[in-house]
Amino acid sequence: MNNRVSRVSMFVTPTNPRFIDKAWTRGGDVYILDIEDSIAPAEKQRCRTLIRESIDKASKGGASIYIRINKPFVDTDLPYAVWPGVDRIMLPKAETAEEMQHAHQIISALEKERGIPLGSIELYPMIETTLGTVNIYEILTAVDRKIWSMDGGSGYDMAVNLGIEMFADFDQYAYPIAYITLTSMALDIETTGGVFVPNTSGRVDQSDQAAEQAAALHRAGIHHSMALHPAFIEPLVKGLTPSIEEVKWATAVIQRFDELSSVGESVGTLEGKTVDIYENQKAKATLHWALECAEKDRFKEHALKKASSQSLPQ
Amino acid sequence: MISTPENQTQDNCFDTNKKIPKYIRRSILALSIDDPLLEKKSFDSWADAIILDFSKKSNCGWQQDIHSRMPEAINIAAKGGAEIFIRIDNKFAKSELEATIFPGISGIVLKGAHSAADLQKISSTLDSLEIARGVHSNSIEIDIEVNNATCTWNLLEIARSTARIGIFFLNEQELCINLGIQTEANLPFDPLEYIKSELITVATSIGGQAVGMSYPLSLASESIDGEILRKGILRARDTGFKGAVCPHPDWIKLCNSGFRPSEEEANYYVKVIEVFAEGIKHGMASVPMDGKMIDVPVDLRAKVYLEWAKRAKARDAEKQQAHHKL
Repeated sequence: MNNRVSRVSMFVTPTNPRFIDKAWTRGGDVYILDIEDSIAPAEKQRCRTLIRESIDKASKGGASIYIRINKPFVDTDLPYAVWPGVDRIMLPKAETAEEMQHAHQIISALEKERGIPLGSIELYPMIETTLGTVNIYEILTAVDRKIWSMDGGSGYDMAVNLGIEMFADFDQYAYPIAYITLTSMALDIETTGGVFVPNTSGRVDQSDQAAEQAAALHRAGIHHSMALHPAFIEPLVKGLTPSIEEVKWATAVIQRFDELSSVGESVGTLEGKTVDIYENQKAKATLHWALECAEKDRFKEHALKKASSQSLPQ
Repeated sequence: MISTPENQTQDNCFDTNKKIPKYIRRSILALSIDDPLLEKKSFDSWADAIILDFSKKSNCGWQQDIHSRMPEAINIAAKGGAEIFIRIDNKFAKSELEATIFPGISGIVLKGAHSAADLQKISSTLDSLEIARGVHSNSIEIDIEVNNATCTWNLLEIARSTARIGIFFLNEQELCINLGIQTEANLPFDPLEYIKSELITVATSIGGQAVGMSYPLSLASESIDGEILRKGILRARDTGFKGAVCPHPDWIKLCNSGFRPSEEEANYYVKVIEVFAEGIKHGMASVPMDGKMIDVPVDLRAKVYLEWAKRAKARDAEKQQAHHKL
């Protein structure tokens, strides 16, 4: 399965049965099993021991699985986190190339030991501090392990580091977000964040906020997002999937460009709008993304049906 | 067998002993040592910090002149409890440092720096002057007044060039001129938004801080209506600035009360800490409160904010004491 479709990645706490047992029914593309900030210190060890079974539980509905470990406990957490079925290890508050190299070495050894193809688990540095931001190039080029998407430079931890109040009505992270995005793109890593949508209430459970966020990301050509509450899943999945109208328009643009090309022309119009090589490329990207989404949705539907039938009372 | 840390109380990697912000310098006022009212103006200002400027006599005796007058100027400017800084021009740094470095100053404000090499030279000059003038080694801070594109481009290298670096601020008038941007504050957006955010990010990454003001007040040089200034300060604070260089003494009172958590915020954060602590007692590190999520970084930020409020209050008491003494 192409696990790069992550229209919404939602954090789940493995220690809470109410969350972990129901996750597969929620429709998320990705579940992030958290050992970090949503787990109380006294619960961390129990959480680690629950990760392996939680991978199976949360992925039953076809979602991909990421694990967020603790920066101070990398050595302890990774042996509990690297298992078949895990797509990405998230390293919070990454600040240096050395931290990446250290985690990479442990993951490589565990992949070998556990029969996981070497280098197949992504190591994703979460950039949540100003030091991580200014060191982003060194961090992203530290190890020979694919990072296919990147964002960061904002959020709760960055607010702590900057000593700022959150939920202002303006973009407080202009430089960190732009610098991380630019560096990622220069390294051919897809960017997954970077659009400011005001949320002055700070609430994390309002679906209209999610719809606004999805619309802003979609307009910027960004396909991915994160959520802290299940209410965000449906609007984000819907909002980041090309609509039928968009697919129809993209198909018509490609057709029109092909017609122009066949008569030796490179620029024309369709319903009064310009059609050229750039619009053609954009339309092809839309169709490609629509196909990837459709493939993921079919996969999830199939997995959900299978899991539902298995969970029916005998 | 996998080993488990026995003590796992450290639930966040931030160094909680590190103070945020590093310094309480909410209001910074520039005054000239040639001003006959220097003592009164500094004393009455209630500024957290004062930058002393000086003009050079046209004859070759300027260095001796400043050298003889500076200790007294430092002494009288500090009477109201402000920290004292001397503004140094990078072009004439060596001779100006020799004329102005004396006990009683917290640091220098370096204007017109271009590269890390500039800073290394100045730091080395300060090493010698600290010994010669009986000032504690490595105690004189260097603050950077950014006024040109080269300095902006080399910001990170400059920030990392010496452990003396303390705060950064923009000289927006001069930077705008250097960048070819209009200096009339009538644009519908802040043309320096990205640079300001870079300044804050870089300064914070080395454990320092940035001071500055939100647009368009950042280009103002006069007294401003209180409500407008209050809003501008709030925005500057929430961008990450920890104070401002005040172009007019009228700004100081509002900067002192604005570049710190308000009473209302402090009360809210007391509640956040209580709710989170209750959650932890029940084994939960993510607790809802009024639709918001309270977890480790939110709890930590609450603690940082309360500590900041406490330190700001203590700084006010220090200045109050200095005033009472006289």
